[in-house]
Amino acid sequence: MASAGESPTNSPQSNPFSTRFIQPGAISYLFPANVNAAQLVERLAKNGWWGEITGPHGSGKSTLLASLVPQLILARKQPLQVTLHNGERSLAQHGETLARADARTIVIVDGYEQLWSWNRWRLRRFCRRRQAGLIVTSHASTGLPPLYACAVDRQTAAEILKRLLPAESPVGQADLDHALAANGQNLRDALFELYDLYEQRQAK
Amino acid sequence: MIAPAITLTLHESRRVYRPGEKLSGQYYIEAVEGTETVAVEISVLWHTEGKGDEDIAVHFFDRVSQDERAVLDFRQPRVFSTVLPNSPLSYEGVLIKIRWCVRLRVFLSRGKQIVEERSFQLGEVPPARAVLP
Repeated sequence: MASAGESPTNSPQSNPFSTRFIQPGAISYLFPANVNAAQLVERLAKNGWWGEITGPHGSGKSTLLASLVPQLILARKQPLQVTLHNGERSLAQHGETLARADARTIVIVDGYEQLWSWNRWRLRRFCRRRQAGLIVTSHASTGLPPLYACAVDRQTAAEILKRLLPAESPVGQADLDHALAANGQNLRDALFELYDLYEQRQAK
Repeated sequence: MIAPAITLTLHESRRVYRPGEKLSGQYYIEAVEGTETVAVEISVLWHTEGKGDEDIAVHFFDRVSQDERAVLDFRQPRVFSTVLPNSPLSYEGVLIKIRWCVRLRVFLSRGKQIVEERSFQLGEVPPARAVLP
């Protein structure tokens, strides 16, 4: 079976909850009926290309970012993305990437809340001086113009599950409901829990 | 857009190969009116699947693209061949799996792409089993 685009092919033996199938970019962000990526980029342009995406752990912030990037490129902007991990408090490791920032670029910082407030201020000043755009993700508002607030609802989670699962699967909606409840509505962690469940039930 | 029909076959119709063995196959693309095949990439690669970040490495790669000197006819079968390495061997673990495949990526006009894969097994490492509660 041929598959269009960059998505990896899911072989019959694949666990559909493997990282390669659920990571940002592998599945596109599911917007509510009245919102789409182009509208968000329009909103971003009105805000001078600055904005923040907020939401709790595993609510799809990074997935949304990945879905916005093609639209930003269509808008003739060059995204420069930095992803912060494990409580990274400064951008020292990302100087080479940020050095390329100019008026055509949008600096994207995934995990902005991890930066010390002093380093957030320095980043904002840096972007202003370079006339670059700035999009950040954070668990709570950090004072930048709000762009979108991510949240996981049962209907969205069910649709993602439907897209991931093969026709016959040892896990289903009830397992997802249970995993979401056990993981505080963190969809990423819930899907990883289903990875283990899938392996266990396949082994039977 | 109607996608062109892609045929990708391995010459030996078996699933398991041993390290050092030759793997060969062929492909051809039956274009549909209104679509143009700009380039084709064939690769033999392995990748991981599991709960961690994905690793991937390309063992064999070949790209054929249209250029101004000659118009290529991708309807004619094109053969590829490579000698498989000693490692990593295919593995069906619980936390991680190592998968080998032949991947054909077809670049069409207007930036569209189609990917076709044939998976195969390198070596015969027994699979791991999940511990049942």
